[in-house]
Amino acid sequence: MDSDEALYSRVKQGDMRAFDELYARYASRLFGFLRPQVASRADAEDLFHEAILATLESDEVTFDRGSFRTWLYRIARNLLLNRVRSRYRGEAALLKVGASGEDDPPPPVDERVAMGQMLRALDGAVGRLPETLSDVYHLRSSGLSYEEMASVLGIPLGTLKSRMNQMVNVLREEMKPWTAR
Amino acid sequence: MDCSLIHDRLIAYHFATLADEERLELEAHLVSCTGCLRRYLALKAHVDHGGRAEDVPSEAARLRLRAAVQARFRPTPARRLRRWLTRPVPLYQGVALAAFLVAAAVLAPSVARALHPRPAVRFAERVDTARRTAESLTIY
Repeated sequence: MDSDEALYSRVKQGDMRAFDELYARYASRLFGFLRPQVASRADAEDLFHEAILATLESDEVTFDRGSFRTWLYRIARNLLLNRVRSRYRGEAALLKVGASGEDDPPPPVDERVAMGQMLRALDGAVGRLPETLSDVYHLRSSGLSYEEMASVLGIPLGTLKSRMNQMVNVLREEMKPWTAR
Repeated sequence: MDCSLIHDRLIAYHFATLADEERLELEAHLVSCTGCLRRYLALKAHVDHGGRAEDVPSEAARLRLRAAVQARFRPTPARRLRRWLTRPVPLYQGVALAAFLVAAAVLAPSVARALHPRPAVRFAERVDTARRTAESLTIY
């Protein structure tokens, strides 16, 4: 199987089969990273389009093995931040999840319902995470390694680990009413 | 271990921030408690897919992106030539080419001699100029 970097080189030479393969690898993962962080599906599709095209057009970048993914997410994240900051003025554009009664105490219900509530509570808690921790959550959920995340965010590995712990602690704290049952 | 303690730690377990001891305890519990295991699997699926089923851009968005990439990187004659010149050549082809060149270099002189033989020179026609010069010297 060709590496991402080999496919990238072939796409730049006009090989559309390589593009199809690269697209198949990242359609779900990158879109899954972008979609929860913007208000509409159309916005996520626009960002996805811009991120892929910008990464392919980045002539100054020479990719080592394994670095295509890092660059793709770095560019996607920058585009996302630009859009969120300029168009929606910060928090208004972030997740619309979490509005469904996460402040109410959880009723005593069966396991399946309790699980559903826990997951909604998780969405709400993720939506309220500050930007630095939200980045960590979404990048990790997209399957990036610690090293790749640190590279995307441009921070040392130690800082990333610290943010990861912070993020988990915040989520644990927010979800306590639903997990302590 | 109490299931509520497990539930509280599942998110930390998923993001691999638990200490080794806690992690081992939790894993031992998950093996024996189907309720907690189901809850963990649901949490994992939810986190990995952003709270929704596997989601990809629409077909229209895919085609739009594909067309943009095709327009941007459409092969021109210059690009085709560059691609041909920089195409990867397998090692065995390189070895075969090298062997052919060596063989050609070794065999070239004999082939050339076979194709263009030198004209034969008869013995009688040979002139030994050095000897004649030596005999012509007179020593007194």
